[in-house]
Amino acid sequence: MMNVKSGQGSSYRERTQEFSSIAERLRKSFPSLNAGVSANNVGVGVGAVAKRTSVFDDPTVEIQELTAVIKQDITALNAAVVDLQLVCNSQNGSESISSDTTTHSTTVVDNLKNRLMGATKEFKEVLTMRTENLKVHESRRQLFSTSASKEPANPFARQHPLANRSTANASTSPPPWVKNSSSSSPLFPRKQADGESQPLIQQQQQMVPLQDSYMQSRAEALHNVESTIHELGNIFTQLATMVSQQGELAIRIDENMEDTLANVEGAQGQLMRYLNGISSNRWLMIKIFFVLIAFLMIFLFFVA
Amino acid sequence: MKITALLVLKCHPIPDGSDPVILANATDVNHFGYFQRVTVKQFIVFVGRTVAKRTPPNQRHTVQHEEYKVHSYNRNGLCVVGFMDDHYPVRSAFSVLNQVIDEYQKKHGESWKTIQADTTSQWPYLNDALTKFQDPAEADKLLKIQRELDETKIILHKTIDSVLERGEKLDSLVEKSSDLSAASQMFYKQAKKSNQCCTIL
Repeated sequence: MMNVKSGQGSSYRERTQEFSSIAERLRKSFPSLNAGVSANNVGVGVGAVAKRTSVFDDPTVEIQELTAVIKQDITALNAAVVDLQLVCNSQNGSESISSDTTTHSTTVVDNLKNRLMGATKEFKEVLTMRTENLKVHESRRQLFSTSASKEPANPFARQHPLANRSTANASTSPPPWVKNSSSSSPLFPRKQADGESQPLIQQQQQMVPLQDSYMQSRAEALHNVESTIHELGNIFTQLATMVSQQGELAIRIDENMEDTLANVEGAQGQLMRYLNGISSNRWLMIKIFFVLIAFLMIFLFFVA
Repeated sequence: MKITALLVLKCHPIPDGSDPVILANATDVNHFGYFQRVTVKQFIVFVGRTVAKRTPPNQRHTVQHEEYKVHSYNRNGLCVVGFMDDHYPVRSAFSVLNQVIDEYQKKHGESWKTIQADTTSQWPYLNDALTKFQDPAEADKLLKIQRELDETKIILHKTIDSVLERGEKLDSLVEKSSDLSAASQMFYKQAKKSNQCCTIL
């Protein structure tokens, strides 16, 4: 589109030629848009394929390939339509364009955009339907568990060829760490599809709705243990914090007690001095007594 | 949470027409009535054979039968089946089966492959295992660890509570000691004051 932008100052004729060339190109991409539509048909085909999947015959690989192809086509078409719209706007920006050409170009662009939107919407619907199917399969798979006793998947077993599909399915079902253990495999009913279609004898035996496989439950238990240990670590840290804070309190108490001890000892010293002072007061009393007797003597000398 | 029976069987791999052969059998049917015990034992044998026959190699299965769960684990033709009640955790059940099968292989090596008829002799380890594993924590180390961790957590919570109490008591002690030091200071001042005034008198 760079050459289009450089041709801004070109004449009206050149503009028309540019637009017609781009329309040509787009007409060529119409087959690709038709391919997009046919990709849409393929999407519909994917939808049909997704609809007819059962527990066993799950053409997941095909669906994924088709999905990838359709997505690429849609992105390419989207880019092309955006470019066309830019060209259209740039052409509308210039003056020497008749209104007919403007309306024509805008109409073409709008039409292409609408068709692309419709195709994208249908594709999205197909994808949602596929996810719903997957969910239904999951729930159905969990309903009927693994043991050989009952064969509720029997109708499916009779419809589709079993062995190959089962491995494809096992690959889609997630836990990858299951593949590491050779001695145990996920408890999914698909491995029942090895031709063993005898109904079980006792009618009393029922399927246990196993929620998790063995490995999953072990992993879950390990997670629990790990989180418990983590919490324990937290608790210990908090405990340490609290104890250190309380240690500070203990130091304060200790200081207070030492202050009290010093004060009481000082007070005791004062009181001892006071006691000594009081106990040695007799010496002062004797002095006062002598002074009184001296006064009495003088008084007696004056009177007698 | 109870194990009712443990069986070790030899399963034939693909030609599933023949029934598995019992290699060891341990049952605890004491909670059934006296006259029902033989019937229950036969029934256990039969169900065990059927479940083992239906277990493909290298896989674990669980079947619900009335109020029991029957767990089976098939390892290369040697199959061990356990009858547990509904409360017994599934994982512990399979770890019990794992231990039993390991012990059997250690003890008997490959000799079990040649046995063609049901073994009637008892295998004491199986009986001991039956009584030991009535408590699922014995078999499943994860369960044991989880249980101990939970107990530790409870103890720690109690510890934290007591530490908080200690904090409160320390608070009150701090207040009381500061009051005491203030009082002693007043006491000291009073003593000094009363000492100064009354020396003359």
